[in-house]
Amino acid sequence: MGLLAGKRVFSIMALCMMVGLLLLPIVVALPSLAIGEEAPAGDAAKKDGDKVEKGRDVYYKTEGIVVGAPAPKTVDGPRDYPRYNFESRVLLWFANQQHLYYGSFVLAVPIFCMIIEFMGVVTKDKALAKRYDQLAYDFIKISLTAYSLTAILGGILIFTFLTLYPAFFSYLSGIFRIFRPVMHIYALMFVAESGTLYIYYYGWDKMREGFLKWIHLSMSVILNIIGTLLMFLANSWIGFMMSPAGVDEQGRYLGNIWHVIHTALWNPLNLHRILGNMAFGGGVVAAYAAYKFLASKTDEDRAHYDWMGYIAMALGVAFLIPLPFAGYWLMREVYAYRQQMGITLMGGLLAWLFIIQATMIGILFLSTNYYLWQAMGRMRGAEKYQRYIKYLVFILACGYMVFITPHTMVMTPAELKAMGGQQHPVLGNYGVMSAKNGGINVIITTTVLSFVWYMRGNKVSTVSWAKFGNIFMGIFFACAYFNIIFLAVYGYYIPANVRVGLSVPQVATTLSCLFFMFALNSVMMKGAKQMGPIEWGKISARSQYALIMLATAFTWMMGLMGYIRSSVRLFWHVNEIMRDNSPWAYTHTVGFAANMISFNVLFFWITILFVFWLGSLGAKKVPVESKAGIPGSIPQPVASH
Amino acid sequence: MGWMALAILAGLLVYFQMSISEPAAKKRAVFKTFIGIVATLLLFMAIANYKNNFYGENRLLPVSLVIITVSTFVMALYFTNLSALLKIGGLMFFVAAFLSGYGNWLPQVEGGFPPVEEKKTWDSMTPQQLADEGEKIIFGGVGKNKEQGAIGKGQCPLCHAFHAGMLGERAPNLAGLPGRGKERLEDPKYSKGNPSKREYEAKEAFPGSGTAENAQEYIAESHACPSCYVVAGYGVKGTNDKQSPMPSIHKPPISLSLPELAAVDTWMYLREGIDAPSFEEIVKSYEKFIPEADRPKQADEKPAGATSLLADGSEPIDQIFAKGQCISCHTIPGIPGAVGTIGPKLEEGTTAPQRIKDPAYKGTAKSPTEYIMESIVDPSAYVVKPFPDNTMPKIFGQKLSAGALKKIVDYLSQVKTGAPPPKI
Repeated sequence: MGLLAGKRVFSIMALCMMVGLLLLPIVVALPSLAIGEEAPAGDAAKKDGDKVEKGRDVYYKTEGIVVGAPAPKTVDGPRDYPRYNFESRVLLWFANQQHLYYGSFVLAVPIFCMIIEFMGVVTKDKALAKRYDQLAYDFIKISLTAYSLTAILGGILIFTFLTLYPAFFSYLSGIFRIFRPVMHIYALMFVAESGTLYIYYYGWDKMREGFLKWIHLSMSVILNIIGTLLMFLANSWIGFMMSPAGVDEQGRYLGNIWHVIHTALWNPLNLHRILGNMAFGGGVVAAYAAYKFLASKTDEDRAHYDWMGYIAMALGVAFLIPLPFAGYWLMREVYAYRQQMGITLMGGLLAWLFIIQATMIGILFLSTNYYLWQAMGRMRGAEKYQRYIKYLVFILACGYMVFITPHTMVMTPAELKAMGGQQHPVLGNYGVMSAKNGGINVIITTTVLSFVWYMRGNKVSTVSWAKFGNIFMGIFFACAYFNIIFLAVYGYYIPANVRVGLSVPQVATTLSCLFFMFALNSVMMKGAKQMGPIEWGKISARSQYALIMLATAFTWMMGLMGYIRSSVRLFWHVNEIMRDNSPWAYTHTVGFAANMISFNVLFFWITILFVFWLGSLGAKKVPVESKAGIPGSIPQPVASH
Repeated sequence: MGWMALAILAGLLVYFQMSISEPAAKKRAVFKTFIGIVATLLLFMAIANYKNNFYGENRLLPVSLVIITVSTFVMALYFTNLSALLKIGGLMFFVAAFLSGYGNWLPQVEGGFPPVEEKKTWDSMTPQQLADEGEKIIFGGVGKNKEQGAIGKGQCPLCHAFHAGMLGERAPNLAGLPGRGKERLEDPKYSKGNPSKREYEAKEAFPGSGTAENAQEYIAESHACPSCYVVAGYGVKGTNDKQSPMPSIHKPPISLSLPELAAVDTWMYLREGIDAPSFEEIVKSYEKFIPEADRPKQADEKPAGATSLLADGSEPIDQIFAKGQCISCHTIPGIPGAVGTIGPKLEEGTTAPQRIKDPAYKGTAKSPTEYIMESIVDPSAYVVKPFPDNTMPKIFGQKLSAGALKKIVDYLSQVKTGAPPPKI
């Protein structure tokens, strides 16, 4: 035991050292890059006497020596906007979206691998440990083919930028000095990421046992650190385009690279994207498992892929639940940065897209609940909950209908006159913000309830206070529903500016349910009596389609939100700094955007199904012993029990 | 390309006829190939539809996705080896078709092109060009000065009339202003050269600015410091004409730059057939009354995207009232500076329900919020006694965004007589 603990400590120390060494050049390089950029200007200043031109940072309001050229004022023509006989923006949209889908997937999967491999290492059940290990290996195998495709799509994206938007790209990348050092670091980190990934993957068998396994696990941590930093750097470009900093009003670089990276929206974007990638990655892996489940010929395979699908779904949903809160933060920062930008998003030109988003959120939660109810079918003992499912369906449907009812929409004065006021004669009476918040909070609370039922499906608590615990949980949920719905209705009787404040107690209620009920349930179910095993593989085919629905909806929503984020810049390449003077400097209709998102989603899925198929070509049979434990031992997936 | 695929399938059909001898197997192979041909036809129909309607207005694009969904499910029935893949694909196409259809069903809003970025070179304009710019600033377009309700960035016609004989209820009629400027300077109340003796709320535009020496300077001063001299009968009610209801035009929310003010003045001269002072002279007259720190930047240096709206709804409610100039005429509890008396005091939380019940009310509103909205977009629907009709402009339905109108209605519906005003 002591030896094992010593090895763990040693491996953690080794890991810290490795990460430290890896990050050292970057940490050292960042300030020197910033200073290095200023130096030539300083020299030039000495030569030209006192002709040092200073500029004021548009965001940080600090003064700095101008070291870059101003943002180019583009004109519509072949020089700044060379083109094919097609809308360049749509081509770029396609290239960008595909790269992002694959990028998100290959960044998310190693995080899953890390979690699952860690679970395999720490679990005491040998058979289960092997299964976790095999699952992690399967995950990374899927991402490996996708990884090279990500790089290829990245190349295509850069070529698309260079050939169709040369003026804009050169402003960001090279001669204007904005992101030049960042792009080089990005490229180098990509090399490091690839190297680590290949060692991680090909070294799996060699580093299967003992201390080497810990080193292997440590490598997954390094892999994820590099991957996350890569994403942060890429986010700094879109952050700069939305909320530029580090440049003056003309877009001239002022020598501080940290200001350019650390823009107003950088951190909220980082958090939102990490969570989004994880939810998306979970969805894709769940869809892969569903596909394999549906195509399986043997019970063993079905059991394995049922389990895999469940874990991927649970991980994906675990990151989906905090996603709206990260979204709130991002939106709050958008409002803080430019209120007009927030209005364009939520109450202006792009507001209809948020109605679609509301629909999608509803679909995601409904699919999740449906899957969980179906999954209860493979547990003996869960029958007692199944008769209540119809009531949950009713609650979810009511919550969903309230959630998607709009209250006020942006309208032209003519439309306003035609409707006789800002609100619809019938719908206008409903759908105020507190009611919609009530709707979504009811949906999330019901999802929590479904999870709690699933977690205790085949178990009976043996703690002495079980009865009291059950009553308490029932009352807690009832009070939560009452509070959320009461506040939703109360919102109709108070002015709009007061009503806004109701969202805080509503969200707090939902989160209390989430944390307290999960925690209490876990305590109650510790050492619980099992009514019967979870019969992995004995789940309906419909449940697998729910997973596929979940994955497709994730993909669609990601495309939608990416489009919204990008189009909020309206006719600016770089907000308020570099104007888009191409013939496509307008915002498409909702319908066109929806068609384009569908196209991107389907293209991604067709190609990823191809990747899955490629993966299956080289698949070696899963070692038999790793599955031997299935009928006898019940796996205890991380997010469920 | 479609023909090529179909040709391959037709070739397969023939090949199976020739190569398979067992009748049952042959029948099965032929049937499957036939299903393949049907699915391929559907697929290419879908692709053709997708291509034709990519930019189309008829919103039929999701139909393609539905066709593909149907063909994949049909294929899944007969090609059992690929059944799972085809069903999954079919479901994905269905989800995409549903969401695409949903997106196309919603009202279609397209963001227009940005306003053209043009750098105005004011100092090289001819007087006529400058006057045209001035007319745009006042009325929103060249030749619009006689149009009822025309209003530009300067918002002047909200209060001023510009043609002889027109009603100037809230502010003096500006017809003949260049000639009248000299007369004003001779008015003892103006106190030319001795601002300290003025009896108005403001003695000078800023300490040391002095008074106007000529007609142009008088115009400049009245724009920069409206309360330095108030024409009799046009002061804020209750102040005995000591204070003007007019905002300083170079300050927010209107914020005209000095060249823009020069353009406005040039129009005032030229439309009377009088030669205007030069651009430089007019700008200099404004520089006398507006200190450098207070001078707004020229419009073309600001971020583009400005609209013809007075308020777009993104502003706080007090700014919306200020930008819409509501505060010049109405007293609105809780809104700083809203002490106007030309229109009724706005306590709509109390008064709106009463007015709907008034037998004289002929409007269509059924609730207080509808009444408030109606009285903004159609002020003549019900005129509060004893105020005269046609004093309030009828342009606010066009000049305020839906969001701004909503904020106004929300706020006013909460203002009640005797109760503390709502928080801003």
